Amino acid sequence: MTATDRRVVLRLYITGHTVNSRAATDNLRRIIDEELLGMYELEVIDVLEHPQLAEEDKILATPTLIKILPPPIRKVIGDLSDRDKVLLGLDLTVR
Amino acid sequence: MGPRTEAAKTEPRMGLERVATGIPGFDALLGGGLPKGRATLLSGSTGTGKTVFLTSFLQAGIQQFGENGVFVTLEETPADIRANVLGFGWDLEAWVGEGKLAFVDGSPADDWILEAGGSYDLSPLLARVDHAVKKVGASRVSIDGLDGLFTRFSNKEAIRSLLNTLTCHLKAIGVTCLIAGERQESADTLSRFGALEFVSDGVIELDLIRGQQQSIRKASVRKLRGCSYRSGVVEYEISARGIEVFPKIEVATLVAKTDFSVRRKFGILQLDRMLGGGAPQGHMLLLTGNTGTGKTTFGMQFIVEGMRGGEHSVFVALEESVSQVKKTALEHGWDFGQAEQAGKLAFVSGRLIDTSPDRLLFEIVNQVERVNATRIVLDSVSSLLSATMNEEQVRQFLIQLSAFLKARGVTAVLNYLCTANFGAVKGQLLSNVETNEMRISSLADGLVMLLYVERGQSVRRLLNVLKLRGSQHSKEVFRYEIRKGKIVIQGKYEE
Repeated sequence: MTATDRRVVLRLYITGHTVNSRAATDNLRRIIDEELLGMYELEVIDVLEHPQLAEEDKILATPTLIKILPPPIRKVIGDLSDRDKVLLGLDLTVR
Repeated sequence: MGPRTEAAKTEPRMGLERVATGIPGFDALLGGGLPKGRATLLSGSTGTGKTVFLTSFLQAGIQQFGENGVFVTLEETPADIRANVLGFGWDLEAWVGEGKLAFVDGSPADDWILEAGGSYDLSPLLARVDHAVKKVGASRVSIDGLDGLFTRFSNKEAIRSLLNTLTCHLKAIGVTCLIAGERQESADTLSRFGALEFVSDGVIELDLIRGQQQSIRKASVRKLRGCSYRSGVVEYEISARGIEVFPKIEVATLVAKTDFSVRRKFGILQLDRMLGGGAPQGHMLLLTGNTGTGKTTFGMQFIVEGMRGGEHSVFVALEESVSQVKKTALEHGWDFGQAEQAGKLAFVSGRLIDTSPDRLLFEIVNQVERVNATRIVLDSVSSLLSATMNEEQVRQFLIQLSAFLKARGVTAVLNYLCTANFGAVKGQLLSNVETNEMRISSLADGLVMLLYVERGQSVRRLLNVLKLRGSQHSKEVFRYEIRKGKIVIQGKYEE
């Protein structure tokens, strides 16, 4: 089964619009555009605006990329510049 | 109602307001409660009950003071915490439902966290705590398991930064914080404990000392910036009701005086005469004797005589069980069970091993106050010397007990097992007791000795008042007999 057969739901939690938040967002889009070819849902959530969601997803650090679907839930933290780690963390096959 | 304790005796209390933890002895130790709007660190190893303290702080806020709270847990799950305190009768789930309590659940979940380059910070924790505080309008926050962050995240700077901003923010919004920290055996002060201590305005230390059968827990204040507090150590226990602290009795020697105009009789004619009328009120008499000399019967007689005059008493049973004591009394025709039910007599029973001195004192004080006792019998001092109470601790215990009793005008008879003196001649009898028991006997205001002497075919029981501070007393030796329902003093002892 390849990554494109499954529906992927991701959430990226950031704190405010900082340089780090920007870097994480950009890095992430690049990775998943290449790997998932558009077959994904991504929500970027600002912890300061939605602390309740951060509580529900048990987010302790930002930036945190959390893979909601497919299960199991996985979290990757940092500016996401380490592509291999991101893919490993998301449990997606590496090309 | 617990025993009355006096205000902190160190320098005059500075203007900082206090937030009561709702644990009476603990608040006394702190000089009124935790410093309001500040963060205090509770440091202790596993088993000291840190989580119970943290929960208790919030519970008291909700149930006693109408103050809502937030529990930030980075170790145990909220479900585990709820389950752990259900036994105390605290329904955390209900309070969450009523909007009085909120959890911030930072406990490690099943999902992995992988670090993928670059930097990160722990600002979400701050945002979540702030959100929870605002949601329930909390003025109290308990934080558990912060040390665990150092194992879960590699960025130490991020953790330290979070600790700093979190505590600063909570202080800025006027919330009072109690933070639990794990005490390490090896002093890894810089990364873990040191970081927590750095952001706290005060540190309370909890210790666990394991005895043979029980453990004794102690709490002390290490620092409380800008506040006065009681120095020294208090003992505590985690009981069925939560945390129970056994506070120190203040030794107010100025108020503690014996009233020589009031005499508490034994109801044994000759003995009362030998004591110059009876035991002076507030005196602590040591009654020494070997097994079988009838010490316990003398003590019981003291109580019975008191009850005849309408006085109430406390019997501290450390040698035998309370039911055994009642049985023995019944053989003499004294119904202690009935006296207990009528509120004229209270019992304090103790375990023979691992007795905690503060706890015993706490119970004695409670009972004396409950029945308004003017007489007390302790059977025996000898059984206090055990695995967890050495001679020095027994002395300290007696000093505190004596001060409390004198201040309340309670007269005490303490039994002491003295194994010497069988078969010696008169002169030797007396000197033996003086040298062996001098350390503890010096604390007593009076010393009554019960002795055996073997003379030919028979054994004589002898009694002598060795000392009676501040009062006339007979220095002669008398023979006595224990009969059913009374002790009879016969004639003087002739060699």
